[in-house]
Amino acid sequence: MKTETLDRLRSRIVKIDSMPAIPVILRPLLRCLDQPAEQVDMDRIVELVSYDKSIAAQCIRMANSALFMRSMPAETVRSAVMSLGMWRVRDLLFSNSLSKVIPANRWVVDPAVFWRHSLGVALVCRKFAEMIEYPDPEKAYLAGLLHDIGVLVNCMVAPEEFRAAMEKATHEQIPLDEAEQATLGFTHSDSGRILAEAWKIPSDIADAIELHHQIGDPERGGPLVALVHLSDLLCRMRDLGYGYYEPRQVDFASEPGWLYLILKFPSMAEIDLARFTFSLDEYAKEVSDLVATVFAG
Amino acid sequence: MNWLNFHAPGAVAGMVRNGSLTDHHPVKKAPRSKPVDHDWTALMSNETTLLKDEAVVAESLSDPAWIRIRDLIYQVSGIYQAENKFYLLVSRATRRMKVVGARTPREYLDFLTARPNRDSEMRNLLNEITIGETCLFRSLPQIDALRKVVIPSLAEAKKKMAFTKLRFWSAGCSTGEESYTLAMILLEETQGSLKGWTFEVMATDLNDRSVAKAQEGVYNDYAVRNVPPEFMKKYFTKVGSDFHVADTVKTHITFSRLNMLDDSKMLFMRGLDVIFCCNVLIYFDGKSKTRTIQHFYNALMPNGYFFLGHSESLFGISEKFRLVHFPGATAYWKSGEPTSKAGTP
Repeated sequence: MKTETLDRLRSRIVKIDSMPAIPVILRPLLRCLDQPAEQVDMDRIVELVSYDKSIAAQCIRMANSALFMRSMPAETVRSAVMSLGMWRVRDLLFSNSLSKVIPANRWVVDPAVFWRHSLGVALVCRKFAEMIEYPDPEKAYLAGLLHDIGVLVNCMVAPEEFRAAMEKATHEQIPLDEAEQATLGFTHSDSGRILAEAWKIPSDIADAIELHHQIGDPERGGPLVALVHLSDLLCRMRDLGYGYYEPRQVDFASEPGWLYLILKFPSMAEIDLARFTFSLDEYAKEVSDLVATVFAG
Repeated sequence: MNWLNFHAPGAVAGMVRNGSLTDHHPVKKAPRSKPVDHDWTALMSNETTLLKDEAVVAESLSDPAWIRIRDLIYQVSGIYQAENKFYLLVSRATRRMKVVGARTPREYLDFLTARPNRDSEMRNLLNEITIGETCLFRSLPQIDALRKVVIPSLAEAKKKMAFTKLRFWSAGCSTGEESYTLAMILLEETQGSLKGWTFEVMATDLNDRSVAKAQEGVYNDYAVRNVPPEFMKKYFTKVGSDFHVADTVKTHITFSRLNMLDDSKMLFMRGLDVIFCCNVLIYFDGKSKTRTIQHFYNALMPNGYFFLGHSESLFGISEKFRLVHFPGATAYWKSGEPTSKAGTP
C-alpha cells in the first residue's frame, strides 16, 4: 500500500477516535511470554488470569472439561493453570482479551469464526516454524495469532463498508483483502499495521500483519511474513478460514514464500506437505474446543 | 475398494520389509503423546465394553504404540490417520488384534512388522481401515474441487486448443460408485456451464466380478446416502429397495478389466484429463506404486489432475506431479510447465 493511503487511513482512524485500545492484560502478557518457555513465571500468569473473573472462570471450566479432567477437579485458578498448561492458558488470555477490544455489538464477522482462523494460523505457524527450525516458534505463533487484527479496526472504523466487503467476499468467493480493496479502498492488512504501531507490537510481527496477503519481495519481510502467509493460505484451504468457499488451486511449491523459506531453511525441503495438511484436521479440533470455551458464555 | 478384488501379484510383498518405524519420520517431530500405564489384559478380557466406554478409548489412544502403527500405515500406504480420527484407527485395529490374538498395540505392532505373515496382516488392516469407504458422492470437498476449480480450469485450457471433450479415468473402480459419481458430475456440467462439450469416463478394475457389478449400476440405500436429492431424482430409478442408475449416465462410461501392473496394457491409456485412483495404490509395494504413478503421469494431458483417496498421499513417490490444494482436498497436478526442483513439497 502506498504511504499516502496509509497516512490518510491513519488520520481517518485517529480523527474519529475509533482506534481500539490495547487490552490491559496484553502488554504484561507479552512481556511475560517474551522469554524462553522454562523461564515463564507461573505466578505471574496465575496473577494475570485472576485479574479477570470471566477469564479465571473459563480456565477452571476448561480444565474441568472432559478433555483435561484429571482425578481431582480444578477448583483454584492455580490448579486450572497447572492442568491446562502454560500455552493453552496463554491462548485463552489472548483470545479473550482481544475479543473484548471491540464491544460485542460491533463485530461484523462472527467472533468465533475470527478466533478459529486466528488461533488456527497461530498453531500452524508454530508447527511450521518448528519443522523448518526457525529459531523462534513462539514469535511465529504470536504473529499468526495477531495477523488479522486489522479486522478489529475495520469493524470499528468502517463497519458498513467492511460488512459490504465481507458480503462481497462471501458472495463472489474471493479473498477478503480483494473485496476490502474494492469497497473500503484499504485492507485489514493496512489497518492492522496501523493498530500494530499504535499498540507498539514488535516490528517484525507488524510486518507480518501488513504483508501477509501481499508478501511482495520476501526479503523485505523476512521469514515471519512468509510463515504467516503460507499458514494463512493453508488454514483457508483446510476449513480454518472465514467460513466461505474460495474456489482456487494453491500450489505451495511455487509460492514465493515457500521458495524463499526453502533457501533460508534447508529443513523446509524435508517437509511432507500432504501429511502436514492432513494433520491440520487435528488443529481444527483443538482450535474449535478452545474457541467453544471462550464463547461458552 | 476391497483388496480381495485386487490381488496384484507380489504387490504387497516387501511392503513392511525394511520396517524401520521411527528413523524416517516425514513430519519432523512426532505428535505429542503421553505414555500412560494401562492394564491391557483387563481391557481385552472385557471386550464388549472396550469401545463403548469412551474414557477407556480416550486413555488407550495415548498409547505411543498407536502413533507408531499410524506412522507405519502412512509409510506403507500413504494413508494418514489424523489424531482426531484416532478412535477409528483404534477401533478398527482392535478388531484385527482380536482376530490375531494380540493383547496390546505394542504386540500388534510386532504382528505388522516382525511376524512372517506381516504383509498379509498389513493388508488385512488396510482393508479394515478403508472398509465402508465406497459410496456414491463420497468426498464432497473433492467433488467441489472438481466442479468449482478443476473442470473450469481444464475447460479453459482445452478451449484454447479448440478441444471440447473431457476424458476421466476411474482407476480401480471396484463396483462403480466413483465412476457413476464422476459421470453424473460431468453430465451436470455439460448441461450447464460447458454446453456443447462431450466427455467420457473410463472405468477399470482388475476383478471381473467387480466390473460386472459396476456395469449393472444397482445400489442399495446405504451406497446412495450422500447423493444430493436433485441427482437422485434425475439419475436414479427406485426398483424395490434398490436404486438403478439411469442409462443416460451409463452410456458415458466404458467399464473394462485392467491390471494396472500390466505395462503393455497401461501404455494404451492416454490423453486423459483427470484420473481418480482411491485406496488402491495403498496395497502396492514401493516399486509397483512408482511404476503405476509413472503410467498415470504419462496417461494425463498437460494440466491434468490425479486424485487419490481423501487422506491418501503419494508420500514423496513422484517428483513430477505437483501437490496442489483445494479447499478441503488435495490432488496431484501435471503442470504444463517444467517443475521447479527446489520447490517440490
